[in-house]
Amino acid sequence: MLQIKDIHASIGGSEILRGLSLDVAAGEVHAIMGPNGSGKSTLAQVVAGHSDYEVTAGSVTYKDIDLLELEPEERAREGIFLGFQYPVEIPGVNNAVLLRSALNAKRKHQGLEEIDAFEFLKLAKEKMAMLGMDPKFLNRGVNEGFSGGEKKRNEILQMAMLEPSLAILDETDSGLDIDALRAVAEGVNTLRSPDRAIVLVTHYQRLLDYVEPDQVHVLSEGRIVRSGDKSLALELEDKGYDWVREAANG
Amino acid sequence: MKSATLEFDALAAAVGALPETALSASRQSALEQLRRRGMPGVREEDWKYTDVSTLVDITNTWLASGARVAAAAAAEPAAGIDADWFTIVNGQFDEAQLQTLPEGVTVERLSSNVSALPSLGRLGELNTALLHDGLKISVDKGVVLERPIGLLLFDQADDGASVSQVRVDIELAPSSSAAFIEHQVSGGDSDLYANVAIRLALGDNASADYVRIQDRGPQHSQTGYHGIELGCDARLRQASFDLGGKLVRDDLVVNIAHPGAEAEFGGLYLVGDGQHVDNHTRVDHRVGPAVSRQEYRGILAGKARGVWNGKAIVHEGADGTDAEQSNHNLLLSQSAEINAKPELEIYADDVKCSHGTTVGQLDENALYYLRTRGLDIDEARQALTRAFAHAIVGRSPIEQLEEFLLGEIDRRLRDLLREDVA
Ligand SMILES: Nc1ncnc2c1ncn2[C@@H]1O[C@H](COP(=O)(O)OP(=O)(O)OP(=O)(O)O)[C@@H](O)[C@H]1O
Ligand SMILES: [Mg+2]
Repeated sequence: MLQIKDIHASIGGSEILRGLSLDVAAGEVHAIMGPNGSGKSTLAQVVAGHSDYEVTAGSVTYKDIDLLELEPEERAREGIFLGFQYPVEIPGVNNAVLLRSALNAKRKHQGLEEIDAFEFLKLAKEKMAMLGMDPKFLNRGVNEGFSGGEKKRNEILQMAMLEPSLAILDETDSGLDIDALRAVAEGVNTLRSPDRAIVLVTHYQRLLDYVEPDQVHVLSEGRIVRSGDKSLALELEDKGYDWVREAANG
Repeated sequence: MKSATLEFDALAAAVGALPETALSASRQSALEQLRRRGMPGVREEDWKYTDVSTLVDITNTWLASGARVAAAAAAEPAAGIDADWFTIVNGQFDEAQLQTLPEGVTVERLSSNVSALPSLGRLGELNTALLHDGLKISVDKGVVLERPIGLLLFDQADDGASVSQVRVDIELAPSSSAAFIEHQVSGGDSDLYANVAIRLALGDNASADYVRIQDRGPQHSQTGYHGIELGCDARLRQASFDLGGKLVRDDLVVNIAHPGAEAEFGGLYLVGDGQHVDNHTRVDHRVGPAVSRQEYRGILAGKARGVWNGKAIVHEGADGTDAEQSNHNLLLSQSAEINAKPELEIYADDVKCSHGTTVGQLDENALYYLRTRGLDIDEARQALTRAFAHAIVGRSPIEQLEEFLLGEIDRRLRDLLREDVA
């Protein structure tokens, strides 16, 4: 589904990703861990299409499409979803309006008719119930004044509505209370299917208790320095990142 | 730069040619005043950013061609707005429409009501001197009007320059309540200068909702003056929407000389290439307690030029004054310009005053976020500008206008966003 080959990416002149490769097959869940500043969000943003990041070498292929040729909105319509580590507050842009526009942009791209207001509301309320979100959030500005946890839930709501083929969740589990964590996990597990792939960027083992990953990668200084199965996450929790760094350098 | 001067001989001839009415004496004295003071120039602090010399040129051209008043064209109020409309076309109105009035409202010609007409504002003398006639609208004591009164100010500018003067005096007797919609529109491709003067006096405990929608053509200029007097515990809620026009200047002047008054006002200006829109406000807090709050927002594209100047003066002894003003601007292009200036002058001790002014661009992070959700760049820009503009619609007092305003704003924003890309 997603093939990243030896990618180099920089921002403001400094190279952050330095020869990173990653292969995520349909049906799989991958977890990416790694110390602060190692480039996890950079990787997520490069896949989503942030123009501040300059890809200087390597390739990113998604469903046989050269992703780097596409604008962010084209990537979204092709089924890529990024759950932001820091969701953006957009005062005055109605949450429901954004959800509906997003859904319709994708449907239009797929040659489907726009969803009508009634169907949309029904679907949104259904997804919100699953995530334990008050329907009132539909009528607020996008993330406007949302608490940290509410913002993360709102990202998951968007994901649940858009049903992406490839979801990248950048620390969506950070700052969540235990109920919210379960709700997020529920959202991810519901999405999980043989024709979808999910990449979870996380610092904590606890999300992985609910969502079992097929592979776990450790990113350090812009490269994947170690990959393994879910036991790698446990081992990291136990030994910290110095252990991987040493192993990688030695 | 030499500022243009009015051709006074031609002006005097035009004033003299107006039909003799009870206003004739006021016209003559306004003409004399105007001869002494001249038109406002950019050396005057309040006119620093708005050069009216093009308006003087239009007026001179119009005078030279005989100061004609175009034959009254048909003007239809905007569909879907429910109001009792008075239509003023090229500064003239038809007697017949003064008959169909809601109960408790009187409308008269100014010429049949007043003998001496005080001029309003810096362009007030020009207005009085050339005024055919004006309207006087009175709402009786205790009357609560269900339906807004609409003022459709329409000008048709077809062959050569046109100039028109509009004057409306509105008085709300104590404890009455009414809403007003002033819709300023025009047709035709010739130069136009429309000069509008409105006086709104609220008696004790009266309340007025007032919405001004200016959507003149791209060749059409307008100056407006709204002079507002508030009685004890009177309440004004006002919003203005500048969507069109070439050179537009509006002065909103609120006089608070009685305690308990509340004035909430503000506006939105959407300004594109070739347009200059200037909103000047002034509130005089002469006594307290009283409240004034204003919020103006502007979106400017292309080589647009905008001016916002909000002056609040808290006079000596006006304790208990609560004055708040804010102005936010969104510049869609590098070449758009805004001169934003809050001015607070406080001579009393116990006051609460605040002001805030911002000038910014569209938030790149927000644009990107929306694009990652599948909106294309135009849709994302439209969503952000719309959100910025809609905040003012949310403050607008006449609820039934919401749909109309949102539609007009969307249409205008699409133009501005297109302009900026070009
Ligand atoms: N505009 C910029 N100019 C220079 N360096 C930048 C810029 N933006 C980000 N960086 C750097 O890029 C590096 C990688 O950042 P990134 O956000 O990808 O880390 P991360 O792995 O997601 O960290 P965290 O776990 O804290 O979220 C950091 O060292 C950061 O300081
Ligand atoms: Mg990060």
